[in-house]
Amino acid sequence: MTSRSRTASFLFALTLLLAAGVILAPAARAADPGGACTITFGAAVSLTGATAKEGEYVKNGYDLFIADVNKGGGFKVGNQRCQVALKIYDDESNPDTSAKLIEKLVTDDKVNLLLGPYGTGPVFSASAIAEKYDVPMVEPGGAGMKIFTRGFKNIFGTLPGAPSYLKSAIDAILAKDAKAKTVALLIENDSFSQEVADGAAAYVKAKGLELVYSQQYPKGTKDISSLLTAVKGKNPDIVLGASHLADAELVMKQAKDIGLNAKAWAFSVGPATPEFGKALGKDATYVLGVTPWTPALRFKGEDIYGTPQRFAEAYKAKYGALPSYHAASAVATVIAFQKAIEAAGSTDPAAVRAQLAKLDVPTFYGRLKFAPEGIIVKPMAVIQWYPDGEMYTVEPADAAEKPLIYPAPPWTAR
Amino acid sequence: MILTLGQSLVNAILLSGMLALVALGFSIVWGVLKVINLAHGSFIMLGAYITFTCWSAFGLDPFLTIPISMLALFLVGYGIQAGIINWVIRAPLLVTFLLTFGLDIVLVNLALFVWKGDVRSVSPAYAGNGFTLFFNPATEQGIQVPYVRLAAFAISLLLAAALHLFMSRTRLGRAIQATGQDKDAAQLSGVRVAPTYALTFAIGAALAGAAGSLISLMQPFDPGMGGGYRLRAFIIVVLGGLGSIPGVIMGAALFALVDVLVGISPLAPLKDGVAFAMLVVVLIIRPSGLAGKAFY
Repeated sequence: MTSRSRTASFLFALTLLLAAGVILAPAARAADPGGACTITFGAAVSLTGATAKEGEYVKNGYDLFIADVNKGGGFKVGNQRCQVALKIYDDESNPDTSAKLIEKLVTDDKVNLLLGPYGTGPVFSASAIAEKYDVPMVEPGGAGMKIFTRGFKNIFGTLPGAPSYLKSAIDAILAKDAKAKTVALLIENDSFSQEVADGAAAYVKAKGLELVYSQQYPKGTKDISSLLTAVKGKNPDIVLGASHLADAELVMKQAKDIGLNAKAWAFSVGPATPEFGKALGKDATYVLGVTPWTPALRFKGEDIYGTPQRFAEAYKAKYGALPSYHAASAVATVIAFQKAIEAAGSTDPAAVRAQLAKLDVPTFYGRLKFAPEGIIVKPMAVIQWYPDGEMYTVEPADAAEKPLIYPAPPWTAR
Repeated sequence: MILTLGQSLVNAILLSGMLALVALGFSIVWGVLKVINLAHGSFIMLGAYITFTCWSAFGLDPFLTIPISMLALFLVGYGIQAGIINWVIRAPLLVTFLLTFGLDIVLVNLALFVWKGDVRSVSPAYAGNGFTLFFNPATEQGIQVPYVRLAAFAISLLLAAALHLFMSRTRLGRAIQATGQDKDAAQLSGVRVAPTYALTFAIGAALAGAAGSLISLMQPFDPGMGGGYRLRAFIIVVLGGLGSIPGVIMGAALFALVDVLVGISPLAPLKDGVAFAMLVVVLIIRPSGLAGKAFY
């Protein structure tokens, strides 16, 4: 085929397409029953790649809430009720892909509003696109403060800031043992973990504890036994990990290998997901994790679930397992939009953004209120793995299912 | 401090056996086929998942799954070489490079599809148990030697020894060596090159499978685990010199020692950087690797 005829047939196809658009568009609109409307959210979530599991939880949360809210008639916008739809893509856990897909969602798919990806990296780049097109995004999975310190108006997050992650775990340990003195800190080399570690290190010092070991290691490390050997030489009371799930498992597995003991173990991310216990078996016992949400917490909310327990039931009925905080956080982002849209009486991005900034509602996820930079104001709960192989909420006191076990026995005595 | 160093030395020795096994298969494929197999890491990953599946679904002891993953990977490797790579084996290096890179992507995504992205771990009841050397009752500290790592070390060395015997004492092994030295001359002497290549690739894959099974016992993994091991295999093979079993073991020992010592130093975040710096230094001083030039 010559290039000329190729161009000609391309133009012909294009003309047909455009013509079809003109002919079909009014018909499609007419098919809507009078007054009914649809609000379309766009999201790019990691369904494959490094954080595929977390991404799956987030997608489950979005899907569950949107299905449930549509059953009840959808969102109230002014005087009418609108069905809610979600256009979702896989960002492959890659920040660049995430940004590209958000651009596509806004310019091609013309979604009304944006839900966030999972992970500080993808959220960081995706939110820059949201800001560029001035479309508000509420995100469930990025806790790094660097997302919120760029002066953006359109980004809101439902995870507490990374620097506060380990504080409640440190408090819980000190409440049990005021004499605990020495702390070792293991830090994955990524921006989120670095912020967690900086926050934890400052808090450790403020509480009069001594940081005897603090070391970064490369992201994706497969063998951490040499760092743990150095920690063993310092014999700390408390070992803290600022990292993600795989690292938390690696630390516990190899700590046992080389006989590193501590009175308490706590990690920023990992122990609060069921996989941690599944992967480690009894070696997960006594480990502490922090989480913004567990099904045991006692909140009373003005949303379709109302309590953490009822949300957990709804989730379990659909997916066959209890939700992790990722799923709860994802649902909270859509609830934030629901409340803001209802208060604004429209889906106009500027109006919704103004209401999000003012938002203050109780929900099954706790109080939804954003600080001026856009990140939620929320304390973390503490969980611990028990000898019976289950994970229990041990802090805050009003929601504790079991007391904190302290100190953790040495490996040889287990 | 002495204790820390002692423990590190033990860690390094045990690590070196496992790393040697990781690099062996990569080394023979590179040495004989002149193919830099970028899917090597995925073969290791598949070995780990085979062990995981046999252990979690059928309750098989992880060590008993090693022959299973070796056999499975042998067949996969034979199939891939005979059915795919042999078609382009005489093409420039870049072609096989791209091909194995593509295979790697396919295998990782297949694993994601089958086993999901969850971080998995194989933890039999005895995981983490071990014995203590130089136990000091006052500090309750000593040098810990975990059974699993010790066994993995022994198995790695056994497999290396078995490979060495196979290569030097059997007709097939010598046919592989001859093909590696000069495939045209080998063909003239009656060696059938295509099946020999397939066999070599299959052996390399089987060794990767064994390495994966052992690694699954030592650390949590997910479908993306292979990349890091491919990189380590590459560094070790270049360090030790291409196409020599003692060279691979030496390279692995050096790599493990540096890795462990950097790990307890303040340079820990730069571990990978230090490994590459070492590679560059060795390439400058001894371009053919520590063990010099040898051939299978």
